[in-house]
Amino acid sequence: MDLEWSAADLAFRDEVHAFLDERLTPDLRRAGRLMTSVYADHEASMRWQAILHERGWAAPAWPVEYGGCDWTVTQHYLFSRESILAGAPPLSPMGISMVAHVLIEFGTPEQKEFFLPRILTGEVFFCQGYSEPEAGSDLAALSMSAVEDGDDLVCTGSKIWTTHATEANWMFCLVRTSRAAKKQQGITFLLIDMSSPGIEVRPLVMTSGEQIQNQEFFDHVRVPKANVVGEIDDGWTVAKYLLEFERGGSAAAPKLQVMADQVARAAAGQPGPDGGPLLESPAFAAKLADARIRIDVLEVLEFRVLSAAAGGKNPGTASSMLKILGTELSQTLTELLLEAAGPRGRAYQPHATRPGGPLAGFAPPADGYVSGEEWQAVAPLRYFNDRAGTIYAGSNEIQRNILAKAALGL
Amino acid sequence: MDFSLTAEQQLLRDSLADWLADRYDLARSREAAASETGWQPEVWRSFADDLGILGATLPEEVGGSGGGPVEAMVIAEQLGRALVVEPYVDTVVLGGGVLRRLPGTGDPLEGIVAGSVRIAPALLEPTSGHTAHSVAATARRDGGDWVLTGAKTVVPGVPQATHLLLTARTSGEQRDLDGISLFLLPVDLPGLQVHRYRTIDDRHAADLVLDDVRLPAAALLGEEGRGWTALSPALDEALAALAAEAVGCLRRVLADTVAYSKERRQFGQPIGSFQALQHRMVDMHLEVEQSVAAMYLATLRLGAEPAERARATSAAKVTISRAARFVGQNAVQLHGGMGMTQELAIGHYFKRLTAIEYELGPADHHRARYAALTPTTG
Ligand SMILES: Cc1cc2nc3c(=O)[nH]c(=O)nc-3n(C[C@H](O)[C@H](O)[C@H](O)COP(=O)(O)OP(=O)(O)OC[C@H]3O[C@@H](n4cnc5c(N)ncnc54)[C@H](O)[C@@H]3O)c2cc1C
Ligand SMILES: Cc1cc2nc3c(=O)[nH]c(=O)nc-3n(C[C@H](O)[C@H](O)[C@H](O)COP(=O)(O)OP(=O)(O)OC[C@H]3O[C@@H](n4cnc5c(N)ncnc54)[C@H](O)[C@@H]3O)c2cc1C
Repeated sequence: MDLEWSAADLAFRDEVHAFLDERLTPDLRRAGRLMTSVYADHEASMRWQAILHERGWAAPAWPVEYGGCDWTVTQHYLFSRESILAGAPPLSPMGISMVAHVLIEFGTPEQKEFFLPRILTGEVFFCQGYSEPEAGSDLAALSMSAVEDGDDLVCTGSKIWTTHATEANWMFCLVRTSRAAKKQQGITFLLIDMSSPGIEVRPLVMTSGEQIQNQEFFDHVRVPKANVVGEIDDGWTVAKYLLEFERGGSAAAPKLQVMADQVARAAAGQPGPDGGPLLESPAFAAKLADARIRIDVLEVLEFRVLSAAAGGKNPGTASSMLKILGTELSQTLTELLLEAAGPRGRAYQPHATRPGGPLAGFAPPADGYVSGEEWQAVAPLRYFNDRAGTIYAGSNEIQRNILAKAALGL
Repeated sequence: MDFSLTAEQQLLRDSLADWLADRYDLARSREAAASETGWQPEVWRSFADDLGILGATLPEEVGGSGGGPVEAMVIAEQLGRALVVEPYVDTVVLGGGVLRRLPGTGDPLEGIVAGSVRIAPALLEPTSGHTAHSVAATARRDGGDWVLTGAKTVVPGVPQATHLLLTARTSGEQRDLDGISLFLLPVDLPGLQVHRYRTIDDRHAADLVLDDVRLPAAALLGEEGRGWTALSPALDEALAALAAEAVGCLRRVLADTVAYSKERRQFGQPIGSFQALQHRMVDMHLEVEQSVAAMYLATLRLGAEPAERARATSAAKVTISRAARFVGQNAVQLHGGMGMTQELAIGHYFKRLTAIEYELGPADHHRARYAALTPTTG
């Protein structure tokens, strides 16, 4: 038992590092560094995906036959960690990390052949249509209807909170094909071409002023049955399979470490209550140390889950645990960054950041003026946006309910 | 001991609450806040002419009605409840608090009562953090004038304000209490560089650069180097009023969250029926009730000797900062996706509560001030 990397791991890490050093342009790093949420600027993220694809690293977790990499669990971890440390903008998870796994497991040969290569190149960009106005935490209560008509399903209803629906040309979604006694039955997993007639997309304005999430209205939208993944009425099985990737796909600790380092750098340059650097004020230093301790421990917890997964074990309830710990730590770090920002944390200056979508009703100053430094402009927006971490992908209350049942047998 | 409001104070509260419920529309006020003007001037006119709240706490000699801290508390709480962006605390409580002690020339207090003078406190600087007595900007005499050099940051309420209440150092080191001088100057003074921007809580602020800005001798308030003696008690009054504003916001946010949890159904039942959420809302309620008590503590101790007054207002700020964070965050959480949007009032209140958490110093500052003022008994 040990916590060290092998020589081969270290060599791999250096290879990744050298690649990032060479190919991550200053603008891409900026796009990564000035993100205000978990969503990167779409254009920057697609540009980075193209560069990764060229190297064969756009979707390392896929099976090799579809364009993935034959890496060990440790190598996957090191790749994602090095990318984060270098400040690479993250790729959109909906295609590469979510629906692709479903297609690989449940898709027809035609579906695989059409979608997988196009997801890799970015030609197909997916959004996730699960949530509905009346079906959030209670996802299985979804009601968007899909009625069979010849070779088509005719869809009517609404989806909400759909991230990047305006950028996406495809949506994977859950629709209701029949009303059975049990609400989990009668759901179908469907791929919808966003250019189909009858779809209206309305952007939602979040507290940060950003428009990344959307509501869509479907009015008798015809979708070929060939776009059903898995069996009609058996979409819940497919959806549950995908949820495992959404909740526990990657390790959070490296990103949290980067955030903690950023907080430390920020606080070193700001005055604390006693006039010395904030970083040296006992109250702030204790809070940051506490966050770092939680990250150190989370990292080992994640290693344990990763090595169990390498041994072929399903992460099971561990993904709920990691989701709770990771998102709540992230929120703590955004609080600390906002504290470090000082009075300037109150200024609303999204023009000094790289948000993941357009801004509603904001005109940047003509002279481009920024009060303080860019990270001080990022701090309040990241704080607001990060509140979503404990809401989406199964709220933390729902994760606790899952753990109560599955981990404790209550 | 008595926590009851007089008949006049109740009337003040009810008439203001009614007026705001009728006339202060949340959507319209957000639109105004996002615009270049940044506020609704007609609201301020009504505050002066119809409601008389701008003079409620100022002396009768300047046209006010001679009320005190309790009147300020009653007013600020109602303004907080309606999420009013117009600068009451900065102008009347902080600005008025300084000018009551150091009158200045040109009858600015009468202007405040009439609504024609609005004050933006220009205290914080790029290197001050949240410490108001950390002043690096300087003022020196030149013939009959003052010449000011330095920078101020996040000066709240600049497009609405007519005047700046500005600190500059005339002697001593950056954090000395002695040697701070206070100046009252028009906001459109030639030579003053102003960079305006919006704030996260739907208000406006500005950074100022003073590069040898010239002021007449009369711009100095009170004695040279003795500004802190007036600013310090006025800041404590502003802390008490900010606590009341916070209470107004907090009560509304809690009420909205409880109401939402009764309406919103998931898993075939109102989400308010889940015990996990019930306990969370009870914890929010406990934070709100402690904030109310802290608001009284600060308000009723404003007349005490300085150390006692400072301890009470710091205790209040620590309490409301904690409540602002806990109640704001959990209100968002319990609203789910809806809580993240600007569609419901909750998103706007969360932003204001976040600003309040830090305004006039975050909890750690006030814990440190409280500790320093509390004798250690061995
Ligand atoms: C930024 C953001 C991005 C998103 N992106 C997407 C996307 O791309 N695609 C998509 O399909 N969805 C997306 N979502 C939607 C997200 O999955 C939902 O918001 C989430 O499932 C919660 O649903 P809700 O918002 O309806 O809240 P509700 O389900 O109404 O929950 C409200 C509150 O009640 C609590 N609650 C509910 N049930 C229980 C219970 N049984 N016990 C205890 N507490 C409970 C919740 O935890 C929450 O605090 C996104 C959401 C956000 C905020
Ligand atoms: C030091 C001490 C002094 C006491 N003195 C007296 C006395 O003078 N007279 C007297 O009559 N009794 C007295 N008690 C008994 C006391 O009132 C009981 O211990 C108490 O009512 C809890 O009952 P219980 O111990 O059976 O625990 P339980 O009722 O079995 O509770 C166990 C746990 O479950 C929780 N729980 C129970 N129901 C719910 C629910 N609906 N929702 C959420 N959580 C729940 C409880 O909060 C607790 O954490 C005393 C107890 C102690 C420890």
